[in-house]
This record gives sequence, structure tokens and C-alpha cells, in this order.
Amino acid sequence: MLQENTALIPDMIKQIPLVNYVLLASILFVIGIVGVLIRRNALIIFMSIELMLNAVNLLLVAFSAYNSDPNGQVFVFFIMAVAAAEVAVGLAIIVMIYRNIRSIDIGLLNKLRG
Amino acid sequence: MYPILFLSFSGLITLFLGFFQEGKWVKPATILFLAIASISAFIDWNKPGAYFFNMLQVNNFNLLLSLVILITAILIVAISDNFKEIEYAHSAEYYAIMQFSLVGAIMMTNFQSLIMLFLGVEILSVSMYVLTGTDKRNLRGNEAAIKYFLLGAFATGILLFGIAMIYGGVGAFEIDAISGTLASNQAQSLFLYIGLVMLLIGLLFKLAAAPFHFWTPDVYEGAPTIFTLFMATIVKTAVVFALYRILHQSFQNMHLSWSYILAGCIALSLIIGNLSAVKQISFKRMLAFSSISHAGFLLLGLLHVSKTADKSLLFYSVSYLLASTSAFGVLLALKNERTENGRSNENISVFKGLATRSPFLSAVLIISMLSLAGIPLTGGFWSKFYVLTDAANDQFFYLIVLALLLTAVGVYYYFKPIITVFEKSDIQEAITINPIFKIIFVLTTLGTLVLGLFPDLLYGMI
Amino acid sequence: MSLILLIPLFPLIGFLINGLGFKNIPKSLVAPIGIGASLLSFVFAFIAYSEFKNTGEVIIVKAFDWITIGDLNIPFSFQIDQLSILMLFIVTGVGTLIHLYSAGYMSHDAGYGKFFAYLNLFLFSMLLLVMGSNYLIMFIGWEGVGLCSYLLIGFWNKNSDFGDAARKAFIMNRVGDLGFLIGIFLIITHFGSLEYTQVFEMAKQYPVGSGIITAITLFLFVGAMGKSAQIPLFTWLPDAMAGPTPVSALIHAATMVTSGIYMIVRSNVLYTLSPVTLNVVAWIGVATALVAATIALFQNDIKKVLAFSTVSQLGYMFIGLGMMAYTSGFFHVITHAFFKALLFLGAGSVIHAMSDEQDITKMGGLWSKIKITAVTFLIGTIAISGIPPFAGFFSKDEILAHTFAHNKAIWVLAMLGSFITAFYMFRLFFVTFTGKFRGTQEQEHHVHESPLSMTIPLMVLAGFSIVGGFIGMPEIFHQPHFLENFLAPIYEGSESVLPGFGNLGISHETEWSLMGLSVVLALVASVFAYVVFVKNATIPKDSSELSGVKKILADKYYIDDLYLKIFSNGTSKLSKGLYNSFETKFLSPLVNSTGTLINFAGKQLTRIQNGTTGYYLFAMGISIAFILVFFLGLDVLSFFKNILGGFSK
Repeated sequence: MLQENTALIPDMIKQIPLVNYVLLASILFVIGIVGVLIRRNALIIFMSIELMLNAVNLLLVAFSAYNSDPNGQVFVFFIMAVAAAEVAVGLAIIVMIYRNIRSIDIGLLNKLRG
Repeated sequence: MYPILFLSFSGLITLFLGFFQEGKWVKPATILFLAIASISAFIDWNKPGAYFFNMLQVNNFNLLLSLVILITAILIVAISDNFKEIEYAHSAEYYAIMQFSLVGAIMMTNFQSLIMLFLGVEILSVSMYVLTGTDKRNLRGNEAAIKYFLLGAFATGILLFGIAMIYGGVGAFEIDAISGTLASNQAQSLFLYIGLVMLLIGLLFKLAAAPFHFWTPDVYEGAPTIFTLFMATIVKTAVVFALYRILHQSFQNMHLSWSYILAGCIALSLIIGNLSAVKQISFKRMLAFSSISHAGFLLLGLLHVSKTADKSLLFYSVSYLLASTSAFGVLLALKNERTENGRSNENISVFKGLATRSPFLSAVLIISMLSLAGIPLTGGFWSKFYVLTDAANDQFFYLIVLALLLTAVGVYYYFKPIITVFEKSDIQEAITINPIFKIIFVLTTLGTLVLGLFPDLLYGMI
Repeated sequence: MSLILLIPLFPLIGFLINGLGFKNIPKSLVAPIGIGASLLSFVFAFIAYSEFKNTGEVIIVKAFDWITIGDLNIPFSFQIDQLSILMLFIVTGVGTLIHLYSAGYMSHDAGYGKFFAYLNLFLFSMLLLVMGSNYLIMFIGWEGVGLCSYLLIGFWNKNSDFGDAARKAFIMNRVGDLGFLIGIFLIITHFGSLEYTQVFEMAKQYPVGSGIITAITLFLFVGAMGKSAQIPLFTWLPDAMAGPTPVSALIHAATMVTSGIYMIVRSNVLYTLSPVTLNVVAWIGVATALVAATIALFQNDIKKVLAFSTVSQLGYMFIGLGMMAYTSGFFHVITHAFFKALLFLGAGSVIHAMSDEQDITKMGGLWSKIKITAVTFLIGTIAISGIPPFAGFFSKDEILAHTFAHNKAIWVLAMLGSFITAFYMFRLFFVTFTGKFRGTQEQEHHVHESPLSMTIPLMVLAGFSIVGGFIGMPEIFHQPHFLENFLAPIYEGSESVLPGFGNLGISHETEWSLMGLSVVLALVASVFAYVVFVKNATIPKDSSELSGVKKILADKYYIDDLYLKIFSNGTSKLSKGLYNSFETKFLSPLVNSTGTLINFAGKQLTRIQNGTTGYYLFAMGISIAFILVFFLGLDVLSFFKNILGGFSK
């Protein structure tokens, strides 16, 4: 599955198998998804999405370390930057909506349908 | 490659241009910038190579895609009108964001590393979230923006998870490395498998393919028409070629696994898109559902790894974006015709009496509808034909039958606007059309007809 | 880009200018544009010829790849060889003269610009037809000339009779076109190509009498029947005389109607391979020649007589083709183009002089009043009657000689037809130009020679009608048969499948006597006509005053009425019946219920689009889960098993 070139991986990391990281990240990711699915508050949904992104970050870092390949960690920085941009835009949209309807409950927004 | 650099820079300049003379120069400058960007694409012509540490790949086909995207953008910018109807509009910002979004779109077609794919998708999507919500006081616009944003961000998460998993399975982001690993290693890693499925889902969402299409009709309807057009054309083209690179140039060895997912999505897209469009009153919403069905057709072109898939897809994209530009453009040209509560009427009924009021606009609308429906002598016919021939295969025979049946349904709703054009209207006065609109319409309509009459002009060229 | 591509482009440009801008272009510019476009094509035809002569090889110029479907590639390309060069000269040459003539003839017409636009469009289509390098381009031209013919017959569209004539022409042509299309489809399925060069190369492998080739050639011939007005699809051509006279001359005499012959000569390999089809072609040809000639005997409309004579002459060309004397058939196309265009233009000049009178019973004595027209008309009459050394003699005689060699029965009938031809043509000439003037006083006062733009084409064509035959001197005169030598390369395929296919095979003595016989027949006929119409000054009667066989002939064997009864009324009865039973009882409910079903499904489906973001997210999540479980189900299970196994370790 992975070319585990153990010589290059620090012992600290080797003590925990890769599969545990994957599992942790997956669980975080699923928690994020569930959050998105069951909450109605736009902000909370947004937070859950951020949680999903961070789960991915964790996954990438883990793979990166076990691969002895820095690309993954570089990508994490890209994701963080993009997520920040997304937050800026997302919050702006949420604020805009709050101004207009004094609520950020997504259940109220269903004029466009059919 | 050069268009990316140039547009990032010119977008910034556009922002500053907004300060001069109430932004009078913004639109002409944007067209000029886009034209220069298109020309700059030719610097790399016939010089295939890689840029940015092998993260972007340049070859003639990729450049052609960039050109298609840029030229479409020029057409779209030309028929925008400084967003006068939007209160507190800052037109310079919108034009700047459009240019930035094009950077994303071009990255999506030229990527070599999945990092660039992600960046491209995000640059394009985040720009589109902003553009969807430009009409800040309009509740429908707000609703469209938040829906697009939340669903889009969710899809981004899925896509990212997919990329991370692929990275876990291959140990690299480059699509060459992926196809290399797949070719050398028979055993398919589970990481790779999950990664592919998630990545695919993320991109299918952006393409508006069922069952990930839910945002499409609402966002298309709520967004300002000009940005709906942008979404229907540029975003779709960029995504479909991103999918092409992923499925046909890196995961072609896993064809058996992904073709079934694709087949399911195609069937759903065709059914939902075509059948839902039948009952629509709003023209934009009808086109949104039609775009879902067109997503299905585009995916049909991806279904088999064949030598002609890229040609067929490009032909399909070009004819689709010509027809869409005409269709949405006519709606834009009629923006001030009939208003309800200060908003322009976007229902099909707005075309009533168009045949007598403006034969030119009716001709443009009719030809675009015929092309979208896939009637011969228009580009739409050949695009469907090529895609279906590519997909023709015993394995997915039923899909072809389904597609043909639903094309017949498509004729039903595409003819609704055509019939409305010939209905009598109380208003008789002629419609004056902006000369720029006229030029654009002549270009798109002629393009549609030329593609219909001489398909090999484009198909044989690629 | 080769200059050859420009040949069809000029008329197209002319059409676009005059057609799109006919409201804005001043009348003085319309004709120069139209004539100029045609003249430029003519000039460039010479350039194409010189280019071709330099190499002597067939030139194929590809404009672009047009359609590629799988292995079938149909390029948009033109082929320049001996045959297309000759057709080019006829089409652009006669075309230019007729454009010039129209400038005078149509000068008083309100639709001047429209007329020139149509003429140019016709020229463009005709050039596609003769220059195309495959059957599809030929078909486009084929349909294009049909469309132009329709537009021009119905040019004076205020008159509903003319509109009917136009529709009749179009529908009859469509029947033929259907056959032509089926032929093309058969060629695609059997040869996998439509390019002449490829198809003919492959056809050489087939044995003579091959079934599939017979089917292809028969279907193609059905197309030729429609376009070249052969039995049973000939009745449209006389009606087509409703159009302006230059149109009759250009389309319905010189060019379009001969496209059927062009097509067969072009596909000579295929036809040589099928004796059955050749027999059919010859018999249809001779039947048409006789039927049309007999009808022409009792027509009193100057243009109708010429129209039936055209049908009859086309029949002769097909007889020639049926005898595998392709060159002779084509030779007759060339000479016929000259003298028939001349006759039509002369008739136009007469009609012009007579203030739009077309009935010859109301003419007479015009000889001295319109000298140029009369003399040129006489030249045309002599040429068509087959009196040496005028053009028609050589070509017709060649056909008759070949017919004699192959099939005596057809030869007897063809000789009879030739006799009748000479008679009715001289009848036409004598009744029109000799005797007393029978029109109104007003007309008599108004009679005048036509303007120069009309008489110049007459004189040029008269010149060609005199000398045009010398390009194909019979062998017995010990002169080179220019046409045969020139066209020889295009029969290379026929030669290889059936060596010596076109040899005459009769002795010189026989040939001399045949020639003498036909000259005597023509002279007797003309003297006979002289006696009847000049000596006895008989004036033809209207069909209502005739009886017996004469009436049947004057009423065109009642073929039109027969078609009306069978096809027109039959079709409407059938459609009424189908409407009352099949349509209302079965089809409508079926279609309507499909519509209802789709509407219902659409309504139900829009329900899932309920507008709630949470629901959308949920639907997406479910879909993702579904895909993962469905496609990865087993893998995921084993994955978790492994992980759990890892933990327990």
C-alpha cells in the first residue's frame, strides 16, 4: 500500500501505525459530515465543513510523514490558505443573509424551489 | 500558463480602474485584458512542457481549452452591462473576480498535480459564490448564494478527502504518477479506490450531475443572469475537462470501477434533468435542468476511454456554450422589457410576441433552442451524435436508448420558448438591441450553424 | 487554396450580395454583379482547364474535411477532370450568356434583383453538382438546382398557376431524389465511400451483371428520371415553362435537366457493369423521346413545344447512354445546350416582341420584323432537326448509329421520333415566322427587335449551333473525334470491366447509308411542314377543336389527368382514411398519453427539488453513502476487519 521506507521515518511517528491516523481522520471527517447534515444553523454547518477540511489536513500530514514526502505538507498549507479565503467569503454571505432576514437558519430559505 | 499569470495581474489592475471615471473603463479594459490573455496563450503554442515544478502541464490541446474558456469569457463580458440593476454595485469588483475565476478555470484544464486541481476548483468556486450573491438586497440572490456556498464547500470537503486518499495510495499528486502506479501495480489499493470515488463525487457536484445536482436549479434561478451564464458555460467546460484528465489520463486503468458510477449518474442526470425541465415556467430554471441533462451527455462522452473522447467533449462544450450564450443572451437583451416588482421577468412568457417585435432575437433564440435540443443542421446535433457514438458499446447500450428517448422529451420543452415566440402579445413596439449584443449574437448563432453544417471544421481540427 | 475553389464561390458571393441586399442595391448594379460573378467563374474555368492540362492528371481539391463518421470520411472537395471541365464550360459559358440576356429580358420586372440572386444561386448549385468529387456533393448540388428551379418557376408568384407548376416540379423531382438518395445509401453501405475515385476503383472488381450494382444504378437512374424529365416523371418540365424564359433556357434546357446524363456518364463504370439497367435506360429514353415528340406536334404554345422537344431530346441522350455510347450521349448534351438555349432565347425574344404573347396561332409573319431573332431561330431549328452540317446532326447521328448497332427495334422508333422532331420544329418555325400576322393591331404596332443584350447571346449561340458539332466528327470523315479522344480517360474503368465497350462495330457503308437516311428523313419532314404550313397556310387549332388521336396528343395523352386521379386524389383519399381511423383512434391517444405521462413525471420529479438546503445536503450525503456502500461495500468491510484485527493485536 505504502512504500514504508522506515529508515527515513522518525521513531516517534513509527510508534503509532498509519492506520490509526487514517481512522482518526476519517472519524473526524464523518463527524464533520454528520454535523453538516443535521444542523440548521448556517454557522454551525460552516464549522462542520471546516472540521472536514481539517480532518483532511491531518490525513495529508500523516501520509506525508509516512511517505517521507514533503508535498503533502505543502498541500496542507494550500488548504489552510484556501479555507481562510472560503471563510471570508462564507462569513460575508452569512452576514449578508443575517442583515436581510435577521436569522441564519437555512431552513427559512426555501423560496427557490420546484 | 501565461494567461494565468496575466489574468492574476490584470484582475488587480481592473480593481483600481474602478476608481477612474466611475468605472467607465472597466468593461472595455476587461475585454482587452481577456483578449491579451488569449493571445498570450499562443506563446506556448507547439511548445509542450510543464510549469511550476511540474504542477501545470502545457500542450496544444490544453491551450485550446484555455482559448475556448477565454473566448467564451469575452463573449460573456461583452453582453454584461456594468450591473446597473444591482444596487450599490461595484462593477470593477465583479469584473476583477471574473478574471480571477478564469485563472481557476484554466488551472483546472491544465493541471498536472492534484494540488493545482484543488486550487483551480477553489478559485473558481469561491469566485462564483461571491458572484452569485452580488445582488445583496435581493433575497433570492442571497438564498442562491448561501445554498451554493454551503453545498459547494461540502463538496470541496469531499473532493479534498478524495485527493488526500489518492495521495495516501500513490504517494504523489501528479497524475502521471497515478497512472504509472496503476499501470505497474495490479492490486488496487483501497485508499486509491476511496480517493477516486470521493474525487469523482466532488467534481460531479461541480458539473451539476445528478444526484449531486440539487443546487443547480436554485442557484441558476437566483443568481444574476450573466453569472448563471458564466456557471453554465465556463464552469462546466472547466470541470468536464478536469474530469477528462482524471478519468482518462490517470485512472484509465480503473475504468471498470468508475464507469459504473458514471453510468448511474448519467442515467439519473438525463432522467431528472429532462423530465423536471418539462414543467418549468422560469426560463432560467428550465435551462438549469437542461444543463443537468447536458451534464449527463458530457459524462456519456467520458464513459469510455477512447481516442476520440477529447474531440467529442470539446465539440460538445463549444456547441453547448455557443447555444447557451445565445439563449441567456436573449434573456439579458429582454431584461428591461417587462418587470414585476422592479425585477425583470425571467419566465418563458417574456418571449411572447418576440417574432413580430424583433425577428433577429427570435431567430437567435430559436437556433439556440434547436441546438440545445440537438436538431440537425445545428452544432447540438453533431455534439450529441459524437458523444453517443463514443459511448456506443454493448455494455451500456441501455444508456444510449435512454439518452435518445429523453432527447425526444427535450424537444418538447425546448420548443416551448419557440412556440411562445410566435404567440401574440399586447406590446407591439420593436425592441432595440445594443449593437454589441448584435455582434455577439451573430457570432454565436453563426458558430452554431457552422458547427452544424461543417462539423469537421472543428472536429477534424482537434 | 487552389483557384478552382473560387469557381463556385463567385456565384455564391453574387447570390449573397444580390440576395441579402436586393432592397438596397441600386438596379444599375444588380446585373453587373450577377453577370460579373458568372463571367468570373467562366474565366476561372479556363484557368482550371490550363491547370488541368499542365499535368493531365485528375485534380482533386479538398476545401475541408466535412463529415467524419467512424471510417466514413466525406470531404468537401472538387474534382477537375475531362468531364467536369466540359460541364464547367457549358454551365458557366451558357450561364453567362443567359445572365446577359436576362439583363435585357427582365429589365422591366420588379423582382430584378431577386431574379439575379436566384440565377447566381442556381449557378452555384450547378457548379457544386458538376465539380463535386463525391456523390454527396453532387446530391447537394442536385437538391440546390431543384430548389432554384422551384424558386424560378414560381418566380412570378402572384399567379397561383405558376406556383402550382413550381410545386409540381419540386414534388416530381423529390420522387426522383428519393431514388437517388437510396442509391447513395447503397453506395455507402457497399463501398464504404462516396468518393468517385474510390468507388469506381472498387467497382472494377465486380463482375458484369452484379446484382448490387444493378440495384445501385437503377436507383440512381430514378433520380435521373426526375431531374432529366423522363417517363414517368416528365410532366413537370412543360409546366415549368411558367418561369421567365431565360430560366427555361438555362435550367430547363441547357444545364439542370442534363444533370441526369452527367451523373450517368460520371458513373459509367457502374452502368457498364449492369446490362439490365442499360436496357431500362434505353427503353425509357426511346419511349420518352417518342411520347414527347408526338405531344409536341399539336402544341400551340411556343415554349411548350420547345419544352416537349427538350424532353424528347433528353430521351435521345438516354438512348445513347443505354447503348453505352456515353460520349455520344454527352455530345448531344453539349450540342443540345447550344441549340436549345438558342431556341428558348429566340422564343423569349419573340415573346418579348409580341408583348408577352406565347400562342403561335396568334403570331405569323414575323420574319421580316425581327430579322435577327428569326434567322437565329431558323439556325436552331435546322440544328435540332439533324440537317448537316449543323451541330445537332453529328450528335444525334452518332447516337442513332450506336443504336442501330445494338438494338434495331429502338433504332426504328428513334428514327421515327427524329422524323417527327424535324416536322414539329419546322411547323413551329413556319407558323411563327411566315404567313400573315394574326395578332392584335396593338401587338403589331409594338413588334420590335430585342435590345443588343438579348441579340448578342442569340448570335453567339447560333454560331455554336452551327459549328458546335465539329468537335465530334464521325470516323468516316477521317477527322479526329475531338470529344471522344478528350473524354477517353474517364472511361478507363468501363474499359477495364468490359474491353471495347463503346465500339460501334458497323461498316463504313452502313454508316454512310444510315447518315443519308436520317438526312433524307429530316429534309422530307421539313418539306412536308413547308407544304402544310406555308403552301396551304394551315393554322394550328386549339385542342378543344381537335378530335380523335390529334386531341389525345394535344392533351398530352391525358397523363397529367391520370397522375392527378391516381396519385393526387389517391393520396388525399388515403390520408383522409388514415386520419379518420389510425390517427384519431390510435395515434392521437397514444401520443397524448405519452405527453401526459411525461408531464406527470415532471411534476413529481420537481417535488424532490423542495428548496431546503438541509434536505439537499442530506440527499447528497445519502448519495455519497450509497455510492460508497454500493461500489466499495465489500472492500470497506474487509478494510474495517483489518483495522479491527490491527487493534486486537
